[in-house]
Amino acid sequence: MTPILEIDGVGLRIGVQDILRDVSLRLPQGGIVAILGSNGVGKTSLMRTISGVYQATSGAIRHQGEDITRLQSHEIVARGILQAPEGRQIFSNMTVRENLVIGGGPHGLAELDHVVSLFPALGERLSQGAGSLSGGEQQMLCIGRALMRKPSVLLLDEPSLGLAPKLVRFIFDLIERIRSEGYSVLIVEQNAKAALRVADTASVIEGGRIVIEGPARDLADDPRIAEAYLGGHVHVP
Amino acid sequence: MDPYYVQQLAIGLSLGMIYALMAIGFTLIFGVLNVVNFAHGEVYSIGAFAGLLLITAFGPPLLAVFLLVLAVGAATGFGLERLAFRPFRRFSDEASLKSRAMREATLMSSLALSIFTREAMELVFGSEFQTVPLDYLINEPIALGPVTIVTGDIIIFVAAAVMLGGLQYLLTRTATGRAIRAVSNNPLGAKYVGINTNRTIVLTFVIGSMMGALAGIMVGLYYGAIFPAMGFTPAVKAFVAMVMGGLSSIPGAVICALIIGVSESLATTFVSSVWADMVAYSFLLLTLVLFPQGLFGKGRDRV
Ligand SMILES: Nc1ncnc2c1ncn2[C@@H]1O[C@H](COP(=O)(O)OP(=O)(O)O)[C@@H](O)[C@H]1O
Ligand SMILES: [Mg+2]
Repeated sequence: MTPILEIDGVGLRIGVQDILRDVSLRLPQGGIVAILGSNGVGKTSLMRTISGVYQATSGAIRHQGEDITRLQSHEIVARGILQAPEGRQIFSNMTVRENLVIGGGPHGLAELDHVVSLFPALGERLSQGAGSLSGGEQQMLCIGRALMRKPSVLLLDEPSLGLAPKLVRFIFDLIERIRSEGYSVLIVEQNAKAALRVADTASVIEGGRIVIEGPARDLADDPRIAEAYLGGHVHVP
Repeated sequence: MDPYYVQQLAIGLSLGMIYALMAIGFTLIFGVLNVVNFAHGEVYSIGAFAGLLLITAFGPPLLAVFLLVLAVGAATGFGLERLAFRPFRRFSDEASLKSRAMREATLMSSLALSIFTREAMELVFGSEFQTVPLDYLINEPIALGPVTIVTGDIIIFVAAAVMLGGLQYLLTRTATGRAIRAVSNNPLGAKYVGINTNRTIVLTFVIGSMMGALAGIMVGLYYGAIFPAMGFTPAVKAFVAMVMGGLSSIPGAVICALIIGVSESLATTFVSSVWADMVAYSFLLLTLVLFPQGLFGKGRDRV
């Protein structure tokens, strides 16, 4: 079956720097794929390239078999590829409701009930200024805003970054819940342990290229990963 | 109160509305791009000349003149963005969208385009005042009790109020307006929600230039003075209103434009018209010294 999202030998060069080299991965329909790696290895750059904020300098990106490599960011969103980006990038001068309306695009507020059911905290703050939300609530707004479009692919760039442990658990529970609703998710994380628990497969990036990949269970047991990201060996039951 | 002062107040409000229309163009563009459009004064002159050409060629009703000037303003804004701003917007990450390099490049390119346009108009039309057909002047006196105002005061006030109301509706109630506010607030975030940022930026130039061009023809017909450099002074006043208003607050810019207009008119009354132009500059100095964020600015807030 064609994967919903396929990244095929993508390279990204900015100025004289090769930020990504020959990156390939496949996100199957309804699957969760994790991208792991330490700071500055190119995870966010890959996510930006998929969303059309950066243009790949080589390789191809396909969505449901169609080439989207050269499309602009708004055309990629129109195809249902939505991202909760690094830094959240919410509209801090506007209310929560306005953020969600804008997120809905042509769908408007049709998904509002669904998003509020996932994030009850947002439901209570619809008319509050988005800039006044706490960090965790801003992350919920960022993900909720993307879900307002009923995305066929959801890209999450370090959704648990900077959140308290309770909220980290909430976010990962949420990821499992939206997967059970049929969404396909590509998630970038430094919290490798939690990411490997929800993902089907995972890829580890180092210096702009994929150095390890495989089923999430195998990677959780992989001594190289355990050493680099998990602070010693862990067993995933 | 002496009716004379009421008259001066009416004149001041008309003037203020003109500055407000101009200031909105500056403010909208500053909001989405963080740049000052130095060619905005020329849009005003182009609006006045476009209206004058139409009047001398066909003598249509005033409303038709205004509508055509709006269309010419829209086209001017579109061309301006293509020629002076778009070429410098090659990268789309947050670092370059509102970067200093881009600000400086477009400052020079819009200034160059402004000088070129003014010189071109002077070559074609000469730098002196054009004659405006008398029956198009909007300075017929209207007596309201002891107070006498002119038709232009009412026309300017109504036209500007319609434009301002329309803009407010657009910005708060339509997807297009929300896109403009979203790009102003967070251009990178706007890309992630699927907003076509280039189209949105063009649109702000189109809207701002429509208002600037309409201001130009209205003032041209109010004072009967249409000449290529006519846009300079109102552009400076509008620029001051934008800075006073906090750079990217539309209500702030409008209120400050009205304050400047009324103060100038009162200065003419009480001191002398020579001093009127000093009013705006004094306000600018006072604002920069006392309120560096503007009277209505809130840090980095926009539109
Ligand atoms: N617009 C850009 N211009 C120059 N360098 C960039 C740009 N975006 C990312 N980089 C560089 O690419 C590398 C990877 O960054 P990033 O993708 O943000 O890493 P990660 O998300 O894995 O922490 C870093 O060295 C960063 O400096
Ligand atoms: Mg990152």
